[in-house]
Amino acid sequence: MKKQMFWARFLSLVVVLSLLAACAPQAQPTAEVKEPYEIAVVVKITGIPWFNVMETGVNRAASELGVNAYQTGPAQADPAQQVKMIEDLVAKGVDAIAVVPNDAKALEPVLQKAKEKGIIVITHESPDQVGSDYDFELIDNVKFGEHAWDQLVEHMGDSGEYAVFVGGLTVPLHNFWADTGIAYAKEKYPNLTLITERIPCGEDQELARQKTLELLKAYPNLKGIVGFGSLGPIGAAQALKEKGMTDKVAVVGTVIPSQAAPYLKEGSMKEGILWNPGDAGFGMVWLAKYILDGNKVANGTDIPGIGPVTIEGTVIKADAMMDITPENAESLGF
Amino acid sequence: MKKLLTRHETYVFLAIVVFSIIITSINPSFFTIENLFDLLKSYSLMGTFAIGMLFVLISGGIDISFTATATITGYVVAVLLLKYGEGLNILSVFLIAGGIGILLGLFNAVIIYFFKIPSIITTIATLNIYYGILTVVSKGKWLYGFPTWFGDFNNIRVFTLYTADGNPYGLSIITVIWFALILIGWFILRYTILGRSIYAMGGNPASAQRAGFNLLGLNLFVYSFMGLMAGIGSVIQALLVQTVAPNSLVGKEMDVIAAVVLGGASLTGGTGTMLGTILGVTLIAIMGNGLTLMHVSSLWYKVIIGFVILVSVGVSAYRSKRSTRKHIITEVN
Repeated sequence: MKKQMFWARFLSLVVVLSLLAACAPQAQPTAEVKEPYEIAVVVKITGIPWFNVMETGVNRAASELGVNAYQTGPAQADPAQQVKMIEDLVAKGVDAIAVVPNDAKALEPVLQKAKEKGIIVITHESPDQVGSDYDFELIDNVKFGEHAWDQLVEHMGDSGEYAVFVGGLTVPLHNFWADTGIAYAKEKYPNLTLITERIPCGEDQELARQKTLELLKAYPNLKGIVGFGSLGPIGAAQALKEKGMTDKVAVVGTVIPSQAAPYLKEGSMKEGILWNPGDAGFGMVWLAKYILDGNKVANGTDIPGIGPVTIEGTVIKADAMMDITPENAESLGF
Repeated sequence: MKKLLTRHETYVFLAIVVFSIIITSINPSFFTIENLFDLLKSYSLMGTFAIGMLFVLISGGIDISFTATATITGYVVAVLLLKYGEGLNILSVFLIAGGIGILLGLFNAVIIYFFKIPSIITTIATLNIYYGILTVVSKGKWLYGFPTWFGDFNNIRVFTLYTADGNPYGLSIITVIWFALILIGWFILRYTILGRSIYAMGGNPASAQRAGFNLLGLNLFVYSFMGLMAGIGSVIQALLVQTVAPNSLVGKEMDVIAAVVLGGASLTGGTGTMLGTILGVTLIAIMGNGLTLMHVSSLWYKVIIGFVILVSVGVSAYRSKRSTRKHIITEVN
């Protein structure tokens, strides 16, 4: 008897609950108002100043454009972890994914998968990316690479030995700049000699410092270092300062202005070259929303605060390259 | 003489000599006092970690978490430096970092001892916990722009020499700190009951316990000592690069373990010497340095280090196998 009562209650409960569940969506049709777009920005590695600044741009875009945009990324600059994060985002069904790739090749399959699901994919710093809808560049990468060498020559003169640091051999842009710059130097500055293969130490300050100390001994005539990766030039500058050789070797490259300011001021680093990563974060989110709204990016499309873009194939370019000098390093705000 | 030939350290030393001769013959600037001082300064960090690791390996354990410990201690110190920079001095910085390191090490020891979880599993777990908490709290931000006295300390030399071009160099205070730690470690291992007990525990924990050794106490000491070295190491690193980056140490555990093992410490416990550890660190240091000086692309570094470790550990394993075989034969006779 008791058992029957239990079943009766249980069944009625089930019926009521299922009815409620069926009614719920109809009961509140207003909740269906268009949810804000979910736009995920996946960076190479979280926590380093460069991407912290990018995150401020992403957050600014989120509040100004009224989208649910956020930044995420692996704790180590590891291609496999990045792939996994994007897989999770695809499974979650976000509206758009913006990626700064650790390894362009490794991302191809997962970006393809995202596209098949109708997710807008935008990459940054990866102009030859397969699998993305668009690649967004704040700079013309050929000009950027060439300009780094112009800076180098300005400070070391147009003849002598120099070395190149990159963040890693699979980082697409660092190596593109290095390729471009080295080829450009062969044409325009034939008296420059590259002493050794590019050294992958640009994301590790301690290693960059140690490598610079070694280079100074291995190549006593070294006159310049071009460093890509935000810690390469800093590590090099530190080594030069320790050795009292800041006047003999000129260091230029990509750096975070606030971190480089003391080195630029004392002359252990000569000049930096960069764009504002905050603009990159804002621009990617802005573009994603623009495309999700059904617009088409064309030559002259104006991104607020960044300026008009040009488009070549699937590469969207803005022109926001800037020089970092002892004078402006502290005032740039990042 | 015969005793010398049976020692692992002798072979590592010979390897160092051979490599040094090769490198010097290609680039004489390798064998200069200036390069020696530079190397000693740069590798003080790895050397300090290696001292702690040696103790743990001798005791029969292993500690993977020390890089995370060092990351935490380094971060705390960096935050304090940025906030109360002028109110601190170098001694207080070392004390704070060392103290936190000891606490984190004690936590490892307690788990390993009371839950009888293998040390490698425990410390892999605590590595993730320590590092994870730090990533959450710090959001991975880099800290730089320390007070000038902290930067100046890095540039103190015990004595200063000048190169032909008039550039200064000399024995860095950081190297002196490392040497002092080596001496302390060496003294503990060699001349104290504590040190001998660590060997006993690593050689055979069951008989050590029966013989009346306090295994809990020994474990607490060994892992907190590792934590202390991690803490001191983190300050050395902050001094060296004047930046504290949460992701700069984690991932380098294996380099340190490799150096200590290269110096003759066994992963099964009970063996290892301070001299061997110093030689192991030295060998790894001159290989990295030497390749660049020989104008070899630095991309080869890892390949060659891998081979050296394999050969070194292989040779010592082969020798110990042969000596046990000899032992058995003599016993049968």
